[in-house]
Amino acid sequence: MKPSEKTKTIIVVSGLPRSGTSMMMKMLAEGGLPILTDSIRGMDEDNPNGYFEFELVKQLADGNAKWLADANGRAVKIISQLLEYLPSEHKYKVIFMERDIKEILISQRKMLERRREGHQINDAEMEKQFGDHLGNVKFWLARQPNMEALYMNYNHLISIPSNSMIAIQDFIGIPLDIEKMKAVPTRDLYRNRASKD
Amino acid sequence: MRTVIVGFDSFDPAIFERLKNAGQTSNLSKFVDQGGYSHLEVCSPPQTEVSWTSIATGVDPGSHGIFDFVHRDPKTYGLYISLLPTKQTAMGEQYLPPYTTKTLFHEASEMGYPATALWWPALFPARPEIPVATIPGLGTPDIRGQLGVGTCLTTEFKEKKKTKVLRLEAVAKGKFSAILEGPNIKTKDGMRPATLPVTVEIVDDKSVNLIIGKQKIELVLGTWSSIIELQFPAGFAFSVHAITQVILTEIKDSVSLYFLPLQIHPLHSLWHYATPPSLVKDSWKKAGPFLTLGWPQDTNALEDGCISDQQFLSLCDSIFASRKRIFFNQLVNFHEGVLAGIFDCLDRVQHMFLRSSPEIVDEWYVKLDQFIGEVQSEIDKPGLEKYRFLVLSDHGFCTFDHKVHLNHWLMKNGYMMLMKQTENPDLRDVAWENTRAYALGLNSMYLNVANREGSGIVQPQEIESLLEEIKTKLLDWKTQDGRQIISRALLKHEAFNGPYTRLGPDLVIGYAPGFRASSETGLGKVASTPLESNLDHWGADHCIDAAKVPAVLFVNRDIRNMPGISFRDIPFLALGKHLDQSYVKPPSKTGSQGQKDLEERLKGLGYL
Repeated sequence: MKPSEKTKTIIVVSGLPRSGTSMMMKMLAEGGLPILTDSIRGMDEDNPNGYFEFELVKQLADGNAKWLADANGRAVKIISQLLEYLPSEHKYKVIFMERDIKEILISQRKMLERRREGHQINDAEMEKQFGDHLGNVKFWLARQPNMEALYMNYNHLISIPSNSMIAIQDFIGIPLDIEKMKAVPTRDLYRNRASKD
Repeated sequence: MRTVIVGFDSFDPAIFERLKNAGQTSNLSKFVDQGGYSHLEVCSPPQTEVSWTSIATGVDPGSHGIFDFVHRDPKTYGLYISLLPTKQTAMGEQYLPPYTTKTLFHEASEMGYPATALWWPALFPARPEIPVATIPGLGTPDIRGQLGVGTCLTTEFKEKKKTKVLRLEAVAKGKFSAILEGPNIKTKDGMRPATLPVTVEIVDDKSVNLIIGKQKIELVLGTWSSIIELQFPAGFAFSVHAITQVILTEIKDSVSLYFLPLQIHPLHSLWHYATPPSLVKDSWKKAGPFLTLGWPQDTNALEDGCISDQQFLSLCDSIFASRKRIFFNQLVNFHEGVLAGIFDCLDRVQHMFLRSSPEIVDEWYVKLDQFIGEVQSEIDKPGLEKYRFLVLSDHGFCTFDHKVHLNHWLMKNGYMMLMKQTENPDLRDVAWENTRAYALGLNSMYLNVANREGSGIVQPQEIESLLEEIKTKLLDWKTQDGRQIISRALLKHEAFNGPYTRLGPDLVIGYAPGFRASSETGLGKVASTPLESNLDHWGADHCIDAAKVPAVLFVNRDIRNMPGISFRDIPFLALGKHLDQSYVKPPSKTGSQGQKDLEERLKGLGYL
């Protein structure tokens, strides 16, 4: 990326909740990429390294996107549901986290229980909804003139971090501290793996 | 921006993948290895002129208006070729552009880049008011304003199905003469063909001298002449220029020559053939003379037995070579903008040989793969800007062994009635007051709607139920051995979207593999049987259910995470912007019933 393009491009880390987005944000921060976060939601049992969120992201769907002016050249976490509300005047590089939906659902269920939130919809139905949603997002994202996407598989990130880090660095176009990034995905973060029959 | 688009008409994914797996397509396989290969969903119906137009515009026929190779005037039921609409003016009959919807080429020019489209269908007549350089492809007429009828001159007169046959009269030993008919011109006796005298002198048992007008050309048995330029006298100090090629096909027991259809001379065209004039002059001068007919590979001549398989294939080779020269002449000087070229010999070769000689077809796929390697070498030269490279087709292919006479089916099922039994009835013989549906074109069925058709009887409130009824019966229609004949029938609103939808067919007929509309159906004729075995040389086709003949797309970027690639995406892939992005719906607007469930879950997790 040319220096002028660096400052005009926003790095977005996206995916479904519990797909590894917080881990990716941590990796990018460790790698030296400036991060847009307000630390309002601090670390907890579900994310011992923190959430790396930015609260104003939740207002994207209501049309509040002025804060994006501060995001140029930085990474910000935006879940897949909100990508479509990103305004077209910016350019985005989206690192989209992918993870087995069953693993995601197990992790979400535990998080909902810890938050004492109910989960009315059963896993089978939710799996279908997420599958449809991800298909629609992928279709839409691939056709946005101002967005590029890199899909990162959570399991590959854990097991073959070097290749993934290099791919991320090439995608973003900025030199990153690969060694520090590699230290982030640890086995104790790999929770709630779906049990094998 | 620098984009090169190579179109391989009818390049089929199944044939490609088989050859790739056999290691025979090293250049195109590189795209696959880099994640740049996909099947390409094509529009309905998957006809060449329809599909390439949809690719160029990014919209379906409802938004560009080309629905089939034949359209009708609903008021008169009169048929016309969709690629050659005309209107009467003070100057006489004039050709109109078949469509005016904006193409990616036009968009590129509005972005400030040069754009060149070579042999793209439906670009005749040229539109000099739009700053896009074009040499038109399919739809370019011959010098008579038709889609191309050749002439056989022979001492052994025998009528052919399509080819015009003229007798070569012996005038002396080893010398014969005939009159070659050219374009129609106004004479005091009305419209008559302009003519040129032809003399054939036998030289030896393998060659003749052909004297035509003032030219003398030596012809060797079985070998095509180079392109011949002719001038047909058409009045005082006026002549009509034409080009053609000729081949000596018989010399022993009889003498026969075959002339390709007389074609527009690009440097002396009566119509706006190409634009700008400098493109044509430059191409003719540097790449050599080239044929201009939209369908220059003479399948009629092969079907009629005027030329042999080898002679047909030799013609295809020379046309491909000619187009390659013209294309590379443009490519070596191409530094920015869009350069596109369509190479359609494969389509003709597949029509004529996929069923009988598939190895010939395989050779062509390998030939096209080699061509891509040559193009890649040219555009990969160091120092040139990053580029987009797309290689794509407009549909796939499959064999067909049964012709479907759809109007006979309509008659048999009570939807059509004839005024009386005649030989070879067509739409002029239909009793419209007792007819509710009629078929024409290769994939089109229309209802005889009151106040739309000239003698329509179907009332608006009957349309929906009648269409459902016909559709159900068509999908139930099977051969005696249980094969489904029609695999899909799309209602108008299912196939089309846009301002021209009202002009399109009420049902788009998607034949199952193995079946295709008969040429009689194409012209609105009513045959005497519903099905007929296809024993023609033309043994394969693509004018069937679009889902059964997907196209291919190769592109020099990773498209593995771009699901559902279709013709709608091509302008975006070529230019980086959409011409019409109404098909790209934000995920929340896809009408998914699970939107509320998703939001509830995300709120529960604290993300919304």
